[in-house]
Amino acid sequence: MKKKFLIVVVAAAFCLPGVGAFSQTAPAYSVKVSGEVTTPLTLTAADLTAMPRTTATARDKKGVAHTFAGVAIADILNKAGVTTGRQLKGENLAKYLLVTCADNYQVVFSLAELDSSFTDRVVILADQVDGKPLPAGTGPFRMVVPGEKKPARNCFQVTGMVVRFAKE
Amino acid sequence: MGRSVKYVLVVGAALLSAFVVRRTGSLPPTPYRLSYPPYFGNRTNVGDDNPLTVEGVALGRRLFYEKRLSRNSTISCASCHQQARAFTDGQAFSVGFDGVRTRRNSMSLANLLWVRNFFWDGRASSLEAQAVVPLTDPHEMGQSMDSSVEKLRVSGFYETLFGGAFGAGGITADRIVKALGQFERTLISADAPYDKYIRGEYQLSAEERAGLALFFGRANCGNCHGGPKTFNETYHNNGLDRVPADSGRACVTRMGYDRGRFRVVTLRNIALTGPYMHDGRFATLGQVMDHYSEHVEPGETLSPTLRDTMNVPVQLRLTAVEKNELLAFLRSLTDSAFVTDKKFSDPFVTLK
Repeated sequence: MKKKFLIVVVAAAFCLPGVGAFSQTAPAYSVKVSGEVTTPLTLTAADLTAMPRTTATARDKKGVAHTFAGVAIADILNKAGVTTGRQLKGENLAKYLLVTCADNYQVVFSLAELDSSFTDRVVILADQVDGKPLPAGTGPFRMVVPGEKKPARNCFQVTGMVVRFAKE
Repeated sequence: MGRSVKYVLVVGAALLSAFVVRRTGSLPPTPYRLSYPPYFGNRTNVGDDNPLTVEGVALGRRLFYEKRLSRNSTISCASCHQQARAFTDGQAFSVGFDGVRTRRNSMSLANLLWVRNFFWDGRASSLEAQAVVPLTDPHEMGQSMDSSVEKLRVSGFYETLFGGAFGAGGITADRIVKALGQFERTLISADAPYDKYIRGEYQLSAEERAGLALFFGRANCGNCHGGPKTFNETYHNNGLDRVPADSGRACVTRMGYDRGRFRVVTLRNIALTGPYMHDGRFATLGQVMDHYSEHVEPGETLSPTLRDTMNVPVQLRLTAVEKNELLAFLRSLTDSAFVTDKKFSDPFVTLK
């Protein structure tokens, strides 16, 4: 219902000529996984629901803990054919994951930070908080990085994940 | 033919061609050395196919002020991007060659070398792609690129300048926007009192210091405008309207959550670039502060940085004293050397 409302008001607002006016069918929200992958992915809400689910906790600005549910980034990387686990050695340790959000905010993780052969911490792409869909402003998909002192990498409205080699 | 005769001919031909090359001005142009403070970082946006050269920048400067690039030869880029106003025009909406106004506010041009998304909605990813839009928009400069090429060609003096900047191949649409892009990348503003403060060459006044503390502290301006460049490459709905009239970023992405989002623009020279916001709705910086202090509107896409944990808009409730302190700090971002630098001024005036 909420989504329907958004689409309708969007169609009513003006856009500059040549920028492409809205059609009534806005594209579905999704996360594109690309770069150093064997299988590029475009993950929709339904795709995430169908993947192995896990949870992670993070605190809000007031320090209140919330339980987020979603999919481990490691599982997304595996699905895309990224060099994880036993392959994460040698030059592959110079790879990073760049996460981009709808507002163009970007954060970087080294692949090792996300890998279960290096760490027990499970970073997730969440689509639910405390059993409900994420609220407008942070959803439909957000990062949850447990145990970090600053929440700056718990970024909102994720739209893309790109795996690259550091090229220095 | 003897071996030595052949050698002489080959060498002679090489010398002759070098001479011809020099005469036609197609010697390789001189690389342009950009200079900027290390605190701006090196995440610059320069296309591999358009390295800056002294000749290219000089040509770009001329084109920036060239009225032949508008349909009735009455306006240039500089009409809406005036150096004295940090390359804005003091209008909420700018007037095109035909007297029709634009639908968004003319953007300040400073430190574009680091910008990766242009226009208020980020629809162009290079200065070259950006330039085509106002040049050809039917109500801005209103002229096809082909007509611009032709008008420059018949002027007589541009052929040599394009040759010097880009070699053989004459005047082309691609080269026009490349030269403009080169010039615009040299518009570096890094000599405001705030820069001198960062470099340890200037002591902020008590009021400026209090403003800086607010900017990065309670007022949280620095969350988006932080770092010495005072902009970042993100898009936010800053609560201007409950239901935005202009879809902003969503015009490009068509995604609902981008509706009413606009780029976080630079605050450099902000005291010179009013009126403010994408639609120029605020005439003064005082009104801008009143907005963030008391009038942030709720809305579906309001930036999370402007909401509290209950999803309610945060109103800063700044006191009159605090607003003045913030103003003092914002004025320390005015770079008077930048807005008077002859390197960026109208070359047609200078030449007279």
